[in-house]
Amino acid sequence: MILTGRTVILAGRPIPLAPREAADALTREVASMPRGLRIWFAVLLAMIAVAVPAALLALPPGWEVLGTSPTFEWGLLIVGYVFFAITTSGLCLASSLGTVFGIERFRPLEKRHAVLALLCLTTAFGIIALDLHYPIRMVFGAMLVPSPSSPMWWMGVFYGIYLCVLVVEVWSMFTNHPRIHQVTCTMAACTAIVAPATLGAVFGVLVARPFWHGPFTAILMVASAFLSGTALLGVVFYAVHRLGLAGAERAASLALPAIRSLLAIGLVVVALLVARQVIAGLTSGQPAFFEATTALVAGPLAWQFWGLRVAFGLAAPILLLAMPATRTPIGTGVASLLAIGGVFVDRMTFVTAGQIAPTSAAGNVAAPFATYSPSLVEIAIILGALAFVALGYTLAERYLDLAESDAHAAVTLPVPSLDRIKALLSPRRPAVAEATGTPAPATLVAAQPTAATAPGTDVR
Amino acid sequence: MSAPGELPMMPSEGEPIAPRRRRRRRLAPVTAPAATRALVGAPALVPAPAAVIDMAPRTPDLPVPAELVPLTDLAPAIAEISVSRRRFLGFGLAIVGGLTGATALSRLFPVFEETSSAPPPIVPAYDPVGKAWTFVVDSASCIGCGLCVVACKEENAVTEDGRFARTWVERHAVAADGTVYVDSPDGGMAGFPPTSTAPGAEGVAIDAAFFEPRLCMQCENPPCISVCPVSATYLTEDGIILVDPRRCIGCGYCVVACPYGARYITPAADRAPNDAPGVADKCTWCYHRISRGSLPACVEVCPVGARRFGDAADPDSEIAQLVRERSPKPLHPEFGTRPRVLYLGPSIEEA
Repeated sequence: MILTGRTVILAGRPIPLAPREAADALTREVASMPRGLRIWFAVLLAMIAVAVPAALLALPPGWEVLGTSPTFEWGLLIVGYVFFAITTSGLCLASSLGTVFGIERFRPLEKRHAVLALLCLTTAFGIIALDLHYPIRMVFGAMLVPSPSSPMWWMGVFYGIYLCVLVVEVWSMFTNHPRIHQVTCTMAACTAIVAPATLGAVFGVLVARPFWHGPFTAILMVASAFLSGTALLGVVFYAVHRLGLAGAERAASLALPAIRSLLAIGLVVVALLVARQVIAGLTSGQPAFFEATTALVAGPLAWQFWGLRVAFGLAAPILLLAMPATRTPIGTGVASLLAIGGVFVDRMTFVTAGQIAPTSAAGNVAAPFATYSPSLVEIAIILGALAFVALGYTLAERYLDLAESDAHAAVTLPVPSLDRIKALLSPRRPAVAEATGTPAPATLVAAQPTAATAPGTDVR
Repeated sequence: MSAPGELPMMPSEGEPIAPRRRRRRRLAPVTAPAATRALVGAPALVPAPAAVIDMAPRTPDLPVPAELVPLTDLAPAIAEISVSRRRFLGFGLAIVGGLTGATALSRLFPVFEETSSAPPPIVPAYDPVGKAWTFVVDSASCIGCGLCVVACKEENAVTEDGRFARTWVERHAVAADGTVYVDSPDGGMAGFPPTSTAPGAEGVAIDAAFFEPRLCMQCENPPCISVCPVSATYLTEDGIILVDPRRCIGCGYCVVACPYGARYITPAADRAPNDAPGVADKCTWCYHRISRGSLPACVEVCPVGARRFGDAADPDSEIAQLVRERSPKPLHPEFGTRPRVLYLGPSIEEA
């Protein structure tokens, strides 16, 4: 970003600062958009416009605009926070195979995952700030009065670090700082395991809530994170392929098949863990655990669990991935969409089932199960959060260069010349741009040992 | 098989051909420049890298997918921008060491003491040391009149909304088949109607019923304190758990952590304890009263003596005798929180 007098240059585009000129430029920009994109933006902006007043209503402490009650203290906003937070981690987990472990098939995920992860984590923090009654106090309280016995404090620490790492990761990605980028990618991958596991521990330590209690919660949270992050990448890369966005060829040839394998792994792992939870609950001697699981499989949550969670969220995507007829980009895209919806419903049933066996009967006249239905304010906030992520990502897709970064595009060259290597190593890399424009057809270097090992030979 | 001039592969994507020891040597930072020189045409001057991996495919005639192989060609460049394992481990160790050191230092030099320790006693003349406050509830005596709930709301400025209560009374109605119907309309504030309001209880023949007054159990092993992310909930020296409303962020973690449902987030009503809406609140055993030598409000108004309170550290006190003679028990000991409210009567038989 360069500030020059009356314009600011953002990602190579001059944007006027004077209000009238800026408005003109915006009008011209909107007019130049395809019709579909304009409708898409309008829908997203409308959703956000509804969410903003809802968020303002949720901010003042004690206004009781949420559907929660003392017997059901955590509601849809906590579900939304958990969902976006674990999706962030899942994005980093899935793409770390390319960014950290250097596996070529996963390279195309690199830039898009980082933008999505930053958006998702910002959204998660936004939602939790609305759920908390004193978010500012939280920031200072957690720093000035550390509470290491609380998993929630650790969750704040890890996700706080995570946010910083992601900011640096995205910055270094767009400003050609490959070394910093590599370090932050590695750190993000590590945090991507620690953070959702700690989020699982936030629920897992609660003896009072047997449905949440136990070490399996942390495992389920990491597995769900992996699944939802991979599924979000699946949705996005299907869109990249379908709309022919930057890097569409590699999206279809590399990214989508890679996502398909990851998605299959994630679905199977989550299915196993969900099955374990149901079996453990139904055979448990703990009344509250048994009650909660009964509510889940044969009680008020049954339609959510069997219909949305199991049928649409697990079985359908597994079938789509397994059947040869649907091993196509659209098959993967639909499976991803179903899987990510399944994870959201899963977080919903998880948070709900944990509180459905009431701990007291005060003011609760719905025994044996406590009831909760989200208020319009909560629903509007969650829809607005989804729209915010979609809007941010669409803007990034339109105005930032989300094609694979130079280092990786250059990797497909047979043997690089010394100039190219020097260019790669230098911080600003001027010469590489020309190389990335037309990557040479990858030749079978390794199959021709003489050519490959001849020093200084550029096979091109 | 390893000809001079061949490049080492990226450590992370290699086939495990070379022995482990040699792989580790390849990670040394020396390798990358050496390999770079080899690439640009001075093989005679440079000794071959210590270990190289055979990059030739097993069957040279078969084509190899392009995207899987050529990454190796840029090994030096990528080695230069990638993080070496040793550096990364060093970085991780530095973080862990820094955290541990900071923790140790904060023990030696209590920088947070002023803010993180409990505030001074509410009543300056009160000496909390050596007190063993004990609460005993006799569910056999309780008549469900709800006076205690009203007195509590009046004393502590709790909102009149029945969903929010520091203390409340539950009615447990046991049907012939053993099903227990629990209801507590408005926390029992206005007493109870003749039949249970619990769903499904209508028309069911009830064999037995009793009232169970509930309040904060002031646990010895309180989950609400350990989960609080900002240390807003704390334990006084005489074992009472209090909430600092200036520090609470209203996250509700303590509310879901309490196995006895004793906590709630204060709504912004006309009346809010400490005039602080949006923070966690719960029964304090009327700490402002007991530290001045009075009884909790609910104990004082109970017309049938179903709520008893006192200092069990004094062996001659009424409460100490009651505990000795009738050995009351806590509710739900299975949660392991060691509650300090003890119950007599049918509550214990049901639990």
